Amino acid sequence: MKLMIVDDSNIIRSKIARALGKHGLEIAALASNGQEAVRCFTTVRPDLVTMDLTMPNMDGIECIRRLRQINPDVRVLVVSALADKATAIAALKEGAQGFLHKPFTEDDLTEAMDELLGVRNG
Amino acid sequence: MWNLGLGKYRTMVISIALFLLFDLGVLVMNFFISSEISSDAANVNIVGRQRMLTQRMAKASLQIESRVIAGQSYRDLMMELDRASAVYDQTLMAYINGGTVPGTGSGDFVVKRIDDEKAQKMLADAQEQWAPYRDAIQAFVRSDAPTLEQAMDVARNSEVVNVWLLTLMNDLTTRVEELAASKATVLRTVQLTGMLLATINFLIIMFHFIRHLRRSDQALERAHRETDDILRTTQEGLFLLDADGRVGSQQSRALAGILGVQVPPGSDFLDILRPLVTPKVFDTAREYIDLLLRHEVREKLVAGLNPLDSVEITVTRGPGMVETRFLQFRFNRVMEGEVVTHLLVTTNDISRRVRLERDLRESEVRAQGQMSVLLQILGVEPHLLQDFLRNASEGLNLINQQLELQPAPGENLLTKVNAIFRIAHRIKGDAAAVGLESVAQSFHGLEDMLSGMRERGDLVGEDFLPVAVRMKALFSEIETIHNVLTRMAQMRGVVTVEPARPKTEPSAVANPIVRQWISYAKQLAERHGKQVDLVYQGMDVSDLHPVQREAVSSIVNQFVRNALVHGIERPEDRKARGKAESGRLAVYVANWGENGIEVSFRDDGQGIDQAKLRAAVVRSGRMNEEEVGTVDMRRLVSFIFEPGISTRETADEDAGRGAGLDAVRDLVRKLGGQIRIGMTTGEYCHFRVQLPPVHESLVSVPAITSQEAAA
Repeated sequence: MKLMIVDDSNIIRSKIARALGKHGLEIAALASNGQEAVRCFTTVRPDLVTMDLTMPNMDGIECIRRLRQINPDVRVLVVSALADKATAIAALKEGAQGFLHKPFTEDDLTEAMDELLGVRNG
Repeated sequence: MWNLGLGKYRTMVISIALFLLFDLGVLVMNFFISSEISSDAANVNIVGRQRMLTQRMAKASLQIESRVIAGQSYRDLMMELDRASAVYDQTLMAYINGGTVPGTGSGDFVVKRIDDEKAQKMLADAQEQWAPYRDAIQAFVRSDAPTLEQAMDVARNSEVVNVWLLTLMNDLTTRVEELAASKATVLRTVQLTGMLLATINFLIIMFHFIRHLRRSDQALERAHRETDDILRTTQEGLFLLDADGRVGSQQSRALAGILGVQVPPGSDFLDILRPLVTPKVFDTAREYIDLLLRHEVREKLVAGLNPLDSVEITVTRGPGMVETRFLQFRFNRVMEGEVVTHLLVTTNDISRRVRLERDLRESEVRAQGQMSVLLQILGVEPHLLQDFLRNASEGLNLINQQLELQPAPGENLLTKVNAIFRIAHRIKGDAAAVGLESVAQSFHGLEDMLSGMRERGDLVGEDFLPVAVRMKALFSEIETIHNVLTRMAQMRGVVTVEPARPKTEPSAVANPIVRQWISYAKQLAERHGKQVDLVYQGMDVSDLHPVQREAVSSIVNQFVRNALVHGIERPEDRKARGKAESGRLAVYVANWGENGIEVSFRDDGQGIDQAKLRAAVVRSGRMNEEEVGTVDMRRLVSFIFEPGISTRETADEDAGRGAGLDAVRDLVRKLGGQIRIGMTTGEYCHFRVQLPPVHESLVSVPAITSQEAAA
């Protein structure tokens, strides 16, 4: 399973990469904004994406829309500190399958990722 | 082969198939026997024709005879006789062996051999009679010119045979009719049996299905009753939402009570929700429900976005009675295969939990109030705090001793209570006096406890247990203050905490003494190629006793000079060390009233160069190199106040002769004060001077002048 991490904070990026790398996922790409994510996506072709919502140069919702246009089967986990639930719901309607609230623990993250993979397996 | 996915309908299908089979069987039999009966009816007709033919042959024979006698033509009669005998013969043979005969109407008729012994016997008799008669007729008809004798012979013959054959054919007709009648009986029996079987089958089907239906009805009723019981008893509000967001027909009894409104089946859930919550929550809830119903998301992974997880609603209870509650709605998908058909909604009144959580938060806020204790500590004059802590610890130990003391036999425990009370009361008073309000409160609590014991009288040793527990808390409270102070002492010098205020208070700048310090610092800085800012905080120096004012002015000037010559580095060096190019001198003067005044002077220069100081000590001849290598830091630093010690190898007008700080020391000594020094190499140097209150006898102080210092 190839994973792409999209987040404008390098601390969060490395936290997710560390946790999910340990969990057995291949960290295929890191992106710090939506544009970068779309660029990486076409070349790397990840199966899973963790997506921040508020980022410079194309926000998360727009980014999810573009990624789904390229590969409708991609699994997206929104990882956001957003207090506004309505925006997060809008992101999920755009095709993301799950939401993880920041701040999160490593266990929260791996559990959410297992749950997300369950969509495909069962 | 029965496993065709018929499932529970298998029995029914088999039964119906059997029913159809019986019906079909009856139908086939019916058809078969009916056709038999109809052919029997034809037989009766044909046998009847034989009788008619016998008569006709007899009649023709007699007519021929009379025409021969009369000499008339008889050709037509001869042909008729021939035809009749041929048909008769063919028919008779067909009944014996089976064959085709000319029909009574048009066309031929197929005759089967009659499978009956009696009938065959009759036919055999008829054949026996017929054969000579037939031969005679044939011979007569074939002769070209029949004689009268021949005609008379045939006529006589026909008279005799005719009677015989008529009788036989009559009997045969009767027999054939009998056979047909018996077939009709068989047919009736078959029909009756078929009907009977079909009826039995029908009854079996009926019985079977009624039993099944009743059994499944009972199961359904039981399930229904159980569902009712659950819905009636559960404390949660339960109902289903269909894909259009409409409420299902079943709901728990608790639901209306929890929501405070009736929820009619079939109503739109959003309509019910709308008046209960804010528009924002309502919009989010609508989106969330839509998300669960129509989008491929993981239920568990989006639960955190449920806007109704904890929502405050206002419930009207009767006229004018309004109640605020916290409700929790949880939504679970009901799936059929891959499709979400319904959402199961679970509602709970979580007001109690929410209020508890709120209380907890409030107590956390109170705990943050401990911060204010910290600020109280900071507000207390250090000496007083020190004294208080010492007294409080001693007091607590005394109370402990009292508690541990084994009471003498017959001793009144009230004495012990009183002794403890006195100590607690004293500490409470001390705490209040220094401003430690929270500590005073704690000791007040102990007092209350002891008062209660005093009033109750009649005490036993165990009554002191709660006091001992309370003591533990008090010890830890005092301990906490100790720890905070220790931490603060450790932080000094490591962390510079300066309040964000204007660099120098306007009133202080206006003060001529402070202005003089600032300009002196600038002047020196310029001379030594350095940059510096002097910041003053604290009391108005003009308010000082003239003697103190003069002393403070001189001391600060001396520190300024020392800092600019030794401490503050050149701008380029500072920059290289990551410091601001401009050095900073912080001056602070505080008036402690009866405890005198304190002057604090801090520069952020390079501190004291220990190597250079050691060299200077050796140069002054006070110690040799070996001695100076073993001397500890504290002793070494104290040399900077000794006359004739300077880390500068050459003297100029500002420094280098080793005078200056020693003059400060002398002045402070004369005034009965003391100097402390703190520094970190490369970071800062901090002088603190304490001067006692001025006695009126002291009129003037010998001032330190730059000339003196340089001398």
